[in-house]
Amino acid sequence: MRRLTGSIAGAAVLTLALGACGSGGSSTTGSSGSSALAGSGTGDSCKISRPIPIGAVFSLTGAAASYGESQKKGLELAAAELKTKGGVTYDVKTEDDATDPKQGIAVFERFVTNDKKSLIIGPTLSNTAKQTDPVAQEGKTPVLAVSNTAAGITEIGDYIFRDSLTEGAVIPQTIKAAKDKFGLSKVVVLYSNDDAFTESGYQAFKKALDANGVTITKTITFSKSDTDFRAQLAVAKASAPDALVVSALVEAAVPLVTQAREVGIDAPIIGGNGFNSPKLMAGAGKSADGVVVGAAWNSASSGSENAAFLAAYRAKYSADPDQFAAQAYTGLKLVDVAVRTGCSGERADIKKHLAELKNVPTALGPYTMTATRDADTPAVVQVVQNGKFAVLK
Amino acid sequence: MSGFLDSYASTITFMALTGVFAYSFYAVLMAGQLSLAQAGLASAAAFTSSLVVPAEPLFGVIPRLVVGIAVGMTVGAALAFLLGLPVMRLRGVFLAIATLAFGEVVRILLINQSWTGGAEGLSFPKLVGIPQAWLALAVVAYWFWRLGGSRLGRALAAIREDELAAKAMGIDVTRHRMMSFVTSGAVAGLYGVLLAHFVRFADPNAFGFSTAVEGLVTAVVGGTALFIGPLLGSVFLTALPELQRAIGVEAGWIRPFVSGLMLLLVILFLPGGLAALIPHRPGRVGHPDALPDLPPLPAAGTPIASLRAIRKDYGGVHAVHDVDLDIAASEIVGLIGPNGAGKTTLINIVSGLVPPTSGEGTVVGIPVGSGVPAHRIALAGVSRTFQQIKLFDRLSALDNVLVGAHRVSRPTLLRRLILLPSARRDERLALAQAFAQLTRVGLADRARQAAGDLPYGDQRRLEIARALAAHPTLLILDEPAAGMNHVEAHRLSVLIRGLADDGVTILLIEHNVRMVLETCTRVVVLDFGEVIAAGDPATVARDPRVVEAYLGAEDDGAESA
Amino acid sequence: MQQLLNGIFLGSIYALFAIGFTLVFGVLDRLNLAHSAVFSTSAFVGIELVARAGLSIWVTLPIIFVFGGVLGLVIERVAFRPLKGRHDAHFAGLISSIALGAMFLALLQAGFGPDTRRFPPDAFPQQRLEFAGAVVSVLQLVIVVVAFALMVGLTLMVSRSRLGRGMRAVAENPHAALVLGIDVDRITALTFALSSALGGVAGVLFALNVNSAQISMGSSIELKGLAVIIVGGLGSLPGAMLGGLLVGLAEVFAVTYVGSSWRDVIAFGLLFSILLLRPQGIFGARQVREI
Repeated sequence: MRRLTGSIAGAAVLTLALGACGSGGSSTTGSSGSSALAGSGTGDSCKISRPIPIGAVFSLTGAAASYGESQKKGLELAAAELKTKGGVTYDVKTEDDATDPKQGIAVFERFVTNDKKSLIIGPTLSNTAKQTDPVAQEGKTPVLAVSNTAAGITEIGDYIFRDSLTEGAVIPQTIKAAKDKFGLSKVVVLYSNDDAFTESGYQAFKKALDANGVTITKTITFSKSDTDFRAQLAVAKASAPDALVVSALVEAAVPLVTQAREVGIDAPIIGGNGFNSPKLMAGAGKSADGVVVGAAWNSASSGSENAAFLAAYRAKYSADPDQFAAQAYTGLKLVDVAVRTGCSGERADIKKHLAELKNVPTALGPYTMTATRDADTPAVVQVVQNGKFAVLK
Repeated sequence: MSGFLDSYASTITFMALTGVFAYSFYAVLMAGQLSLAQAGLASAAAFTSSLVVPAEPLFGVIPRLVVGIAVGMTVGAALAFLLGLPVMRLRGVFLAIATLAFGEVVRILLINQSWTGGAEGLSFPKLVGIPQAWLALAVVAYWFWRLGGSRLGRALAAIREDELAAKAMGIDVTRHRMMSFVTSGAVAGLYGVLLAHFVRFADPNAFGFSTAVEGLVTAVVGGTALFIGPLLGSVFLTALPELQRAIGVEAGWIRPFVSGLMLLLVILFLPGGLAALIPHRPGRVGHPDALPDLPPLPAAGTPIASLRAIRKDYGGVHAVHDVDLDIAASEIVGLIGPNGAGKTTLINIVSGLVPPTSGEGTVVGIPVGSGVPAHRIALAGVSRTFQQIKLFDRLSALDNVLVGAHRVSRPTLLRRLILLPSARRDERLALAQAFAQLTRVGLADRARQAAGDLPYGDQRRLEIARALAAHPTLLILDEPAAGMNHVEAHRLSVLIRGLADDGVTILLIEHNVRMVLETCTRVVVLDFGEVIAAGDPATVARDPRVVEAYLGAEDDGAESA
Repeated sequence: MQQLLNGIFLGSIYALFAIGFTLVFGVLDRLNLAHSAVFSTSAFVGIELVARAGLSIWVTLPIIFVFGGVLGLVIERVAFRPLKGRHDAHFAGLISSIALGAMFLALLQAGFGPDTRRFPPDAFPQQRLEFAGAVVSVLQLVIVVVAFALMVGLTLMVSRSRLGRGMRAVAENPHAALVLGIDVDRITALTFALSSALGGVAGVLFALNVNSAQISMGSSIELKGLAVIIVGGLGSLPGAMLGGLLVGLAEVFAVTYVGSSWRDVIAFGLLFSILLLRPQGIFGARQVREI
């Protein structure tokens, strides 16, 4: 019996080993080619002979699949554009974590140890990142998060960066602008308390509302997978608030906004970053008009980077991009800047130059990496007008 | 090699961790219970451990992880116990859904607490790596390995196969089910603590419905009959996505499709799970000689059972009406009568499965209708067979009889865990007892066959052997000769008389009147729940009331049922 | 009053979903966990028919009924028929249906992508009515009416028709039914077909109610569906209807009076109490057999 157990375990391990050998990892001991990923020149004139290996981990299947899909599209657009630039080439491999942290950890391990990627982009969800990023930190591989907004991400270590603004960075502005515009004194807050992102949004909203002296008459929770809010909205309506403040993902935001108008709530609706998606208007139609959205990316911005991004995205995918796509796109572009600055694709060099990014023009606006390796880009308060996002004045 | 370990460290660790989780399902599935609360239990354990794991080793010596594990397993076991109390009387799908609901309630409770971090979750220090995970798995697997051959393990398997028969063999079903529940809770708690301290993070949503289902799938795919099952299941399912990645199956919808397909194929074509692929070497078929020391049976004539004015009503139906019955040691009492006369109901009352509506009496010293549970009556010395054979079909004939020997064998699990030789001795005594009974009924050569595969006549005899293994004072046989031809019935009659000579008291229901006349020392006739005649067989057979109600003309009387 | 109506509307959809579950369980003693995948798939296909093929919702519903039925036949043939007679048929059936459901959802993603789908804005009349101080949309009324019509139709069919008699016979004792000449395989297949047809229509109605369909929409309702069939009584059709309404109402009142965070706890608490106090559910006839 023990022999059988042993042989089965052995067979499993063997199969994995075969798989490992088969996956084409560059298993040569790394240190001999230490200058192979460095080149000569700088900026646009930088030339590196070998392609820089970049790994991306997104949730392409499972619960977060719709976000992962957006991110992949944004990333691929950026990769295609960088290809035409010349001088430095990137070998971008996108992997699926299936919205399962276990798989995410396994992929990170592969990228760090086996494939020796110079940098990892992702993963999609913050709660996954808290489990995967330590692997990269220990393996001294830089990570650029393009959608993680929870607390405790960049704190994991000095190799962890992100270009996604947290709710904490965006919401105070939103509330202040909304209060100024609508003269809010009492509001009802609704949020899904079973999602890390919307939970952080709620915390930020609460803090900002308190700081601005706005009373929260009722706090109503729902589940992120809910689509029928009539019961909750009836409770909200009964409290006659000046506005509804909502921290939700766009899947829930659409029916919530639609049903709110249906049951007769005419008060303004103020949403967090989760609302910042063309899906809001596509799904809620007329009901979305007037909704105020605190956003980390100003989709209406006519800055040259953003305009180019919008045009290219529409041309390639025949659809409008959302914030996930914009942040993923920007992420690879930022990596390119960091690589070219030091003209090196080595991990330590990329880490150094990512930390030094200052006022880089991107689709998200002028980008600066803060001392804590978080994003510093201009947040914007938007309002839906005629089916499009416009800046709230 | 170290490069390989580094790039697969997490996969290898997860194989061990999901294996532990799968064992928590195995613990309840062994007893035939489909409980899905394990994810919630693991979650509660993980978060509780976050409150107690110290920053430094306790007292400078005890590792932090050990503190966490101890607390986590206790929490898991305690919650499982609390959950078990109300749901113990549920079976099958009801149990599954109740436990699932419990898991959801735990998830929602934890999400709404601030000390768990809510949906944002909690950070944990990394205290677990490959060695700790595999060590934990080895310990758990060892426990279940030793459980397999022990008296407790057999009792759980018996409960899984046929709860009522297990009860009739003296097994306290409720207590055993609760034990397996609590074990499952403890193992789930272990998993929760280990997982959180490996991935450095936990949030309540990670322990929901789909996690519970995944654990169940792992256990079933691995196989629930052999202790190695959960490990096989976890290796297979953990490796599957990585294998797909390695051989280049493209990321996207194809992978979940392939995973689903593989799962479907395993379930459809491997009924015993992956464990069924392991060629099962039947253990040594030693014929041990030393029989256990068994107390002597009561001397002939000692009163064994005495019932007065027993009534059992079901709604308006008087199944048993005002019956008096006396049985003395070494008697062979035959209970005959037309179908529906109340014979089985009466013996259900005698064996304690059914309480009488009114009446009094004692059976092997225990007052009838006092609420004493059936298994206690079995432990007091009453053993029985059933009208529709209730064997433990998937267990071997020998294992069936070993379960029968529950009453006269000693618990061995704890001693087996530390490999004490006295455990081996007690097992051999039980084995000897079992073999002796198989030999007595002539089935010694079929010891290793699955009970469900035996021919009908052998199954009847096996049931008798199982009942005998308990060294009963009173043996109740419910239509043991049903479906037998004259020759087999005669052999059975000889066997039964031999048993009485050995001092066993027998209460026998039979329709085969010739056999009854041949075998019994006394006959009681029931009709419509009442005793219409009693006495020595020859006299009763001539009683006109009996002839009228049951026997008919002389040549019809020899029909078997 | 508004909340009462909300509860009824929500509950009628839960009931329609649950009735498929309970039908299969009642007749065949099997829990079909691919039911939620049928729910999701039918919603997507329904949206596709209305959005792309431009069909009216009234034509789409019967088409989905048939489509769901076909899915049910596939589920029976692939996930349950091969397990007939196996000792562990219960567990194995659970898992094979889970596996098949996962395959359906993967194919769904392959065909439609991971994004949420919605009906085109003019798919359904948008009018709203006032009733006793509460606002009700025509759509919600239609959903309730269709759901009840289907459930009543099913109940009548089971109690009056030949197929229904066959189903009840198989439910009581499949062996005896076989011996009496009833084609048990055909009845089994038809039961699954009917159950999935109802589940499919439930999916489309649900998607209409909230104007969205996501791949994962089945899993949250699946749990509720299980609660409903326990509360109403496993195998009881009127039980599923009443149970659905009860669960829907309990949820809505929980949101109103207790706090929405505890909404699901209330629903499961109801489930628990029923299991403990009256395990056969409100209408269930099956005794939880101890012996």
